[in-house]
Amino acid sequence: MSPAIVIIAAAAVSLFRIVPLACDGDRLIVAGAGVLRLADGVSCAGIVPGRAIAVALDDAGRATPQRLSSDALPTAKIPRTAYVLAPAVERDADETTLVTSTIDVLVPARTPPSDDIYLSTERTSWSPAEVRMDRVDARHFRLALRLHRGARVAFRVTRGSYGTTERDAARTLPPAHIAVGEPDAHITVVIPAWADID
Amino acid sequence: MRAAPACVVFAACAVLLPGAASARASVSLDGGTVVFFSDTLALIARDGATLTLADGTRARADAAYIDLKTDRAVLAGHARVVRGSEAVSADAIALELDGDRVDLLDASTGVSHTTRRLGAATAAEFDAERFAFPDVDDRSAFIRSRHATITPHADVRFKPAAFPTSIGGLPVPSYLYTYATGAGFGATSLAGATFDQPYGLFGTQTSLTALHARWEDGPGPAVALQQQVVSGDDAYAAVSLDQPLRGYSVHGFNAYRRLGTRYSAEADASGTIYGTVMHGALTAAFGAAGGRMDYTRTTAGASSYTASLRTPDEPLPGGLTWRLTGSTGFDAQRGGLLFELPDAHNYSTVWRKGIDLFVATPVVRVPFGATLATTVDAARTWYAFPHTFDTLSATATASRAFSKKVTLFAGYQSTWSADIYPGTQTLFYPTPITPLLLPDGTPYYGYAAFTGARTFRSQNVDLQVTPDPNTAYRLSVVHTSDFPQFDGFGRPVWEVRGDVRFRPFPNIGLDVGRAYDFAWGGTRWQPRWSFAITP
Repeated sequence: MSPAIVIIAAAAVSLFRIVPLACDGDRLIVAGAGVLRLADGVSCAGIVPGRAIAVALDDAGRATPQRLSSDALPTAKIPRTAYVLAPAVERDADETTLVTSTIDVLVPARTPPSDDIYLSTERTSWSPAEVRMDRVDARHFRLALRLHRGARVAFRVTRGSYGTTERDAARTLPPAHIAVGEPDAHITVVIPAWADID
Repeated sequence: MRAAPACVVFAACAVLLPGAASARASVSLDGGTVVFFSDTLALIARDGATLTLADGTRARADAAYIDLKTDRAVLAGHARVVRGSEAVSADAIALELDGDRVDLLDASTGVSHTTRRLGAATAAEFDAERFAFPDVDDRSAFIRSRHATITPHADVRFKPAAFPTSIGGLPVPSYLYTYATGAGFGATSLAGATFDQPYGLFGTQTSLTALHARWEDGPGPAVALQQQVVSGDDAYAAVSLDQPLRGYSVHGFNAYRRLGTRYSAEADASGTIYGTVMHGALTAAFGAAGGRMDYTRTTAGASSYTASLRTPDEPLPGGLTWRLTGSTGFDAQRGGLLFELPDAHNYSTVWRKGIDLFVATPVVRVPFGATLATTVDAARTWYAFPHTFDTLSATATASRAFSKKVTLFAGYQSTWSADIYPGTQTLFYPTPITPLLLPDGTPYYGYAAFTGARTFRSQNVDLQVTPDPNTAYRLSVVHTSDFPQFDGFGRPVWEVRGDVRFRPFPNIGLDVGRAYDFAWGGTRWQPRWSFAITP
């Protein structure tokens, strides 16, 4: 590997995506609660709390603000040596990325075969026909939701109207299911019955 | 709605909703910009954020983040919290909207915590999670605003509100976003509509008043007002008034209450200029078996009652399952139910009993890489008057995936039913003296062969293509072959339908459907639309 490539690779791995909580003199406080030192001669001016930037770390763990690039590493990857107060949280607070959360729904055999299956979520005030699911086979439906990382979407399953909302095994209204915005998140929901089909 | 049904509605509300609590105090958030993300329930204020809590606590910072899932706020940059004569400042401050804890993070003094009374701060163990401030892309926000009023665990009102897209934002003076998950917030007493967009007017943790902009099949555009009162997942009541721009208004009522782990009660009513229909039901679970009672009454003097018991889904060899349902009840009509009889007044109430056997196969693999699932349902109802009603239904659904993105489905459904009146069949199904005339004036001579036995058969083929998670195409062709059925009488013989689900903007998705009924009732085709907006 040539020296130039080594330098580029080193620069790439030292870039971290952070959200400044505050800038104060030679301190840069970032989301995840770590506190970074700014490199000598580097000013906090122009850094807006709450708006993401990238920082590069030198060997002493001092940070230099950089232009934000899409390949910047998350805050949680910042090495411990860079912190003055405490390490960052393990949970990456980067919610710019969209992840796919897959929902599988298994419907009872009495479901009319020509009916579509829908998700109803709080996002539309529980519209009973908010998102039509894709059919996998006669009794299996699937929807791949694109959610922001960290999302937590409550949903119920319907056949397109409130009168056809899912019921639990005791035929009472079940609590909402939760789809989470994590990479490759997956939830399987088994519908025991519908409101209109016992 | 008449006085008596209205009294029933209000009495049911009072009985069904003992747990409805009053609204909690609200929190307001102001900023140069306030953006909201509907899936993460994140509110972020920038360019000078001001947070005002119900107890008079005020906070200011360069930016602020509120996590509505946890009722947690993080104030970032020159953060200062003031309550009465007390104040604290730090580089970042985390506080709970509902709780008492206040955490301070300052580069010079480290981490400390205090309470909402803002007494002297004491050094604290570091809890980094409490200061997490998400990195978000404002361009994919669902709502952009400058002022948000939060009712914890219930809703957020934005003033003004814009729904940003890549070609601009649709502004409205005020928008109420409800994120409460109680089952009753999804309940409605409105009839189904081709399009229904609610617009929240007032909301609390236990109630929502909403205006609905609707497009209804038949009347067309309509405006409806609905009030929901909710007690978690355990009870709700919804009352609505639906007023089409052309046509008559419809009053609706719907209520539900869970009665322990095994029972639930429901009531609903719908009133028009033609009268009111009221319905009540009680469901019960006995292990995997269950029962249900339904009673329906109309102001026109009709009523019906059905009590049913069902077995669990019992296994059969090969993965098949069966279930038996038995029922009993009555149908009644003031002045006589069987109006075809000369002494109809003697039959104002007719009792019945019935039995239903349902058998289902599992989804099994069949040749050519396809899967197949079938069901068979047979039922007979005996009436106190010499009359039986039989139905026999069968369905089969096959699917074949050609790739992860392309799947073909084929279905067959058939239902045969027969009304049998021993000795009086011709009285209830007389041969027409003149041919039945259809909507376009065509005589339907074949109708003379209809003596109480009906057949409904349909075959469908659907092609589904899902190139990516945000996009799906579906083309469906349905053919029906029924009796009686002819040129506008009964179901259309051919229907073609296309649906597409796509996301034109990062924060807005659309689901548009178009269907055509071909050569039916004197028309070349009859188009229908369906339309839905998704965040």
